[in-house]
Amino acid sequence: MEWNGYTGNILNIDLTGDKISITKENLDDLKQFIGGFGMNCKLGAELIKPKIDPISPDNFIIIGAGPLVGTITPGASRTAGISKFPATGAIANSCGSMSFGFHLKNAGYDHIIVSGKAEKPIYIQIIDDHVELIDAKGIWGKDIVETTDLLWKKYGSSGVIAIGQAGENMVKGALTLIDKTSTFGRGGLAAIMGAKNLKALIAQGTKGISIAYPKEFNQAYKKLFERIRKYPHRQSWHEVGMLRSLPIGLMLTAQGQKKKSRQVSDRIYLKKLKKRRIACPSCPMADKDILEIKEGEHCGLIQYTSSAINPFLMFTLKGLNTYDEVVKLYDLTNRYGLDSLTITALFELITRLHEQGIITNEKLGLEWKSDYKTLAMVTEMIANRKGLGEVLAGGWKEIGKRYDIEDKMLEVKGLDVIFDPRFMRLGTMEFEQVVNVKGAHVASGGSPTYATSGGSMKRFETHFRRMGIPEPAITRIFKPLREEMMVNVPRLTRYSEDWYALLTSMGLCARAQMNRFYSMENVTNFYNAITGFDRSQEDLRIAAERSWNLLKILNAREGFSRKHDKFPKEWFKNLKYGNNELQLHDFFGTTLITPTIANQLLDDYYNERGWNLKDGLPSQEKVKELGLTPYI
Amino acid sequence: MTTKTRRKIITHEEKCVGCRICQLWCSYQFTRKFTLSKAYIRVDNPYGLEPKISFLEDCTKCGKCADYCLYGALEKIEERT
Repeated sequence: MEWNGYTGNILNIDLTGDKISITKENLDDLKQFIGGFGMNCKLGAELIKPKIDPISPDNFIIIGAGPLVGTITPGASRTAGISKFPATGAIANSCGSMSFGFHLKNAGYDHIIVSGKAEKPIYIQIIDDHVELIDAKGIWGKDIVETTDLLWKKYGSSGVIAIGQAGENMVKGALTLIDKTSTFGRGGLAAIMGAKNLKALIAQGTKGISIAYPKEFNQAYKKLFERIRKYPHRQSWHEVGMLRSLPIGLMLTAQGQKKKSRQVSDRIYLKKLKKRRIACPSCPMADKDILEIKEGEHCGLIQYTSSAINPFLMFTLKGLNTYDEVVKLYDLTNRYGLDSLTITALFELITRLHEQGIITNEKLGLEWKSDYKTLAMVTEMIANRKGLGEVLAGGWKEIGKRYDIEDKMLEVKGLDVIFDPRFMRLGTMEFEQVVNVKGAHVASGGSPTYATSGGSMKRFETHFRRMGIPEPAITRIFKPLREEMMVNVPRLTRYSEDWYALLTSMGLCARAQMNRFYSMENVTNFYNAITGFDRSQEDLRIAAERSWNLLKILNAREGFSRKHDKFPKEWFKNLKYGNNELQLHDFFGTTLITPTIANQLLDDYYNERGWNLKDGLPSQEKVKELGLTPYI
Repeated sequence: MTTKTRRKIITHEEKCVGCRICQLWCSYQFTRKFTLSKAYIRVDNPYGLEPKISFLEDCTKCGKCADYCLYGALEKIEERT
């Protein structure tokens, strides 16, 4: 049969047996599960056996690019991956952008399944039908930037997923970078690759992607393209990129670090750091950055990042005083393949507990100072598991036990909190960190409750309809636990997740600046025009819900339940932020969230999902309704 | 004496972000498939510090690539000869 949008091929790579094979996708499966994320979940359910060690040959890495990837559909360049992650022990999804998924589809594959362990370090080369395991002796031991540059030198324009020294040394939170820019695999995907002796994957393809109904596709594309062309903020996205999306200067000012806040201004970024903006294939926003330090000790450093926000977030660390130190430290974490968010959270915690005398120099085995020199040294120690780095590389669970600080850590299920709701208030992204199977992660919680969004209730409602939230659910979302809270964030979170699952299955960008142009209606139109399928909006909404539930079921098999969906204890304590004491409030700041209210919020979330309130897992009825009984 | 119009595509490589929308449209226009390798416009080193834009000899100068470039890296001009 002729495939459109999809390639119809799954590439199986068994590293132990050095075996490469292709299996064909089944159309019936694609009715139940959509592409990238959806099919990844299904394949994961069939392949990943419960209770395996994530750092063992038994684990699988399943990578997928959705049916829209490889076409010109705006922002359709995402790569999704599922595995059992070492930082949390959860089976979770990760996403990255740039060009790997695009090239993979062009080479003729929707998914790659990597299993086993190679005898010696290798990388996987996928060039159309030429798939090979190649000796990695020239790149093993090198950082991600060096590795990617060497592979680009050899292959030319291609998509590269690579790990650094942190991945090779199986640091639990190590991640990969796609095209040395986009983070992929928060929670330890790089450690899983390292354990498999897999340094990198490079994809390059010439087969192309065909469209089932060109006329309908052209119509949908041109309509969307013109909307994007006329978007009044497009120019400023091109100009300052992701700095538009998070008020880091405000955060620093509120923390009492006003001097630093001036260094994260648009002016400094444009004058002193911006080198060039880059875009994923098909993206009209170009929100990725190439930074260049133009003066001082680190002059000449070139840094690729998926968002200038990422290095600037490290500025919240005391003792980092200049923007160039921050970019340099961020560059180190990236090169090693460490998670800059985790490193920031870790250094902040150690500094705070060190000041309080809870963690001493004796316990750490070195003189702790929150300054560039010490932080850079410890970053290197973590990546190479040297001295103190051996402990810190073990992840939050091990660190908590080692120093007896479990109650003081801002983490959920072993992954550190990204957005603290005491500062940001409890929107869907903040709440998502509690219920996400992956641990404290925010990607799937996007909604109008994002920090810089908001607006009137009418505007909220418009977004809810765009995201395909059914009318009865919209009514429930406007009935929060207490009237003054105005929006029921837990109930909304369920639909944010389902919307994210749909975008990720398609391969569409979920960042707010692209997400805002998509609706259940135009996503369905694109999907049908590209694949030639005839699915209704409701079919797609249910398929997305099905995938999210299946991922939850996989984690129920791992022993996760409601008791793991915990608000960190620290959230119920005051947060000293500059001269202010911040408390945990709902999104509109009307209600103080106590542990009792937090529990009621969780009840609302499970109720909206059709899950049991007692264990927080999909009910029998929900499992049956979604056709997931075979996976129980 | 007759006047003819000749279309030219001017490139501003410093504005290119490597999105390759131009290349994708070009290949789709002529092959009905999205295939970078079949396009008459090429963006080399798309994520390097200096991307290079070039056109193959068979390029018809239809200008679709410039019509869909949102970054000002391609400019379509009509020249009278």
